[in-house]
Amino acid sequence: MEKDPQVGQESRGVRWLVKRALLAFFPESDALPGIASMDVDGFVDRYRREASGLMWLGIVAGAVVFTVTPLFTVYRPVPSFWLSADTLDRHADRLAGHRLYLVRQLVFLLKMAGGLCWGQHATTRERLALEPYPADPPRWRTT
Amino acid sequence: MSHTAYSDGDVELDADFVVVGSGAGGSAAALTLARGGASVVLVEAGAWRDPDHYPVSVYGAMRDLMDDWGSTITRGRALWPVVQASAVGGTTVINSAISVTTPGDIFAQWRDDYGVGDAEFERNVLEHETRIESELSVNEVPPPSLGRSNELAILADERLGYGGHVMRRYAKDCEGTGQCLQGCKKGRKQSTNLAWIPEVMERGGHVVSCAPVKRVRFEGGRAVGVTGRFKHPSTRRRGGTFELRAKRGVVIAASATHSPALLQRSGVKLPALGKYFRAHPGTGVMGLYDEVVDMNIGATQGWASTKFRESPGLKLETLSIPPELVASRVGGGGKKLMARLAEYRHMAMWVHAVRAESTGTVSNGMFDKPVVKYTLDRADMERLRRGIHFVASMHFSAGAKRVVPFIHGFAYDIGPDELDTLLDAPLEPRSYVAILSHLFGGCAMGRDRSSGVCDATGKVFDCEGLYVADASVIPTNLGVNPQHTIMGLASHFAERWL
Repeated sequence: MEKDPQVGQESRGVRWLVKRALLAFFPESDALPGIASMDVDGFVDRYRREASGLMWLGIVAGAVVFTVTPLFTVYRPVPSFWLSADTLDRHADRLAGHRLYLVRQLVFLLKMAGGLCWGQHATTRERLALEPYPADPPRWRTT
Repeated sequence: MSHTAYSDGDVELDADFVVVGSGAGGSAAALTLARGGASVVLVEAGAWRDPDHYPVSVYGAMRDLMDDWGSTITRGRALWPVVQASAVGGTTVINSAISVTTPGDIFAQWRDDYGVGDAEFERNVLEHETRIESELSVNEVPPPSLGRSNELAILADERLGYGGHVMRRYAKDCEGTGQCLQGCKKGRKQSTNLAWIPEVMERGGHVVSCAPVKRVRFEGGRAVGVTGRFKHPSTRRRGGTFELRAKRGVVIAASATHSPALLQRSGVKLPALGKYFRAHPGTGVMGLYDEVVDMNIGATQGWASTKFRESPGLKLETLSIPPELVASRVGGGGKKLMARLAEYRHMAMWVHAVRAESTGTVSNGMFDKPVVKYTLDRADMERLRRGIHFVASMHFSAGAKRVVPFIHGFAYDIGPDELDTLLDAPLEPRSYVAILSHLFGGCAMGRDRSSGVCDATGKVFDCEGLYVADASVIPTNLGVNPQHTIMGLASHFAERWL
């Protein structure tokens, strides 16, 4: 997927925050590919462009919460992008099961968007013994 | 045959009847009217996609087929998604096409508790359901298309005596591609965009798609048409306006959430409008097996049991979901999440839906988006918890080594020895990720204007020429999949409008 050339400086910052959060939730493992190998920038641009405003707002809010809450999950008074890899991993896991419902819901939206990107990728599907998806046809009846 | 899709120009059309919504109710009503010789304009908010236009990915399905990306959620104690489609064919495009005849006790309940219908009403609706079964090729999922997840559920059912059955669905020779939720690209599922709407057009009907209706127009207290503006299915840009005039009647069949909202913003004022909203809230339970299950291979849904429909009020069934959706359902993040997802091939997802007695409300919100207020009461939460226990029992009976109940504040997974701990799981709605898939009420049938929005012919009280013909008229929770009931009711109503 191409990066959206119309994305401005502010949007690039938001995209970066969202991407950082998604990378933390879906790292590579022995069995499965991580989302980092899947053109997350392109996916986030597309999501911003195509998803309903509410869905986009939800994952941006989720990314912001993810960034500013390490103090409450791993007891580090720093934004999530300054955490070490192991601590970041612990932060992602603890936030997903946070006791505050609204936080869990925002993380759910974030994981859903990440899951859409990760789960539809050909490499993921191959590892799960599923046929790759062909491209979605952008068509409908016009007459 | 005529069809008007998105247009930058303004469109005006005249017909005997204008039907708003092309799902199970709207298309059944439109077809009955067209067969009866009436001219019909069928207007639909979503686009018309044929099987070769259907998306393959879940992302594509959310974008192209779901109502506003599936972003409608209940406002209440918990925020639970309300699943509906927005496409020509409505939710029949994305559901599993499950056909269940309306249970007899439902008619008795409508008659006794709501003053709706009589013996002839029941007989007529059931006659339509029988006809529809034949027209839409209702049959059991063929054994080669079941897939391992459904086979395991059948095995568990045999061992536990849950009185289940292989599902009967509106599908011709299902190939078990596991893509019901994205629309059947093989064209096997008999969704109404394939089965009925072409016949409406052959009989002179006109379909207007990409056309969300803003309001119903009235003249002298009589509904005379609808107005709105086209919405581009890709860019969501607003196009020209449309005005669809009806000589004999306007039929609202826009769903249990959109129909009451549309009537409210059209100025209809009835005490029961938007009230008595009901649903089948359901949640999934995942079994983890030693063997490879590959739940995404085979029919998305192939087995069900309604044995517990009356007591404790549950419906059990299989429901396979693709990795995209498993990724957000499975708890945890980072390495732990990936380790859990690595078990995907060994997972089987089965669900239960609660025949809930709780009621909610629907109102018209900002940007014409319906606002659904709904919270399960304690008795229904106990049913929900009981249902998880039922489904977990099935998994263990079928040989699952662990079961994932998806309950916040509870163990991620449990073994057979821990099964009964589920009976002490929290009753807090926020601890569960449930989905509302079958919706009822909002424009419920009733004895009179104080207790209902429409009568037993779907006619809206106090409004000449205005009818409702979708799940919103159903005053009770059915406890079974409602598509067949919706189609039978809409056909019965439409015969009476001719």
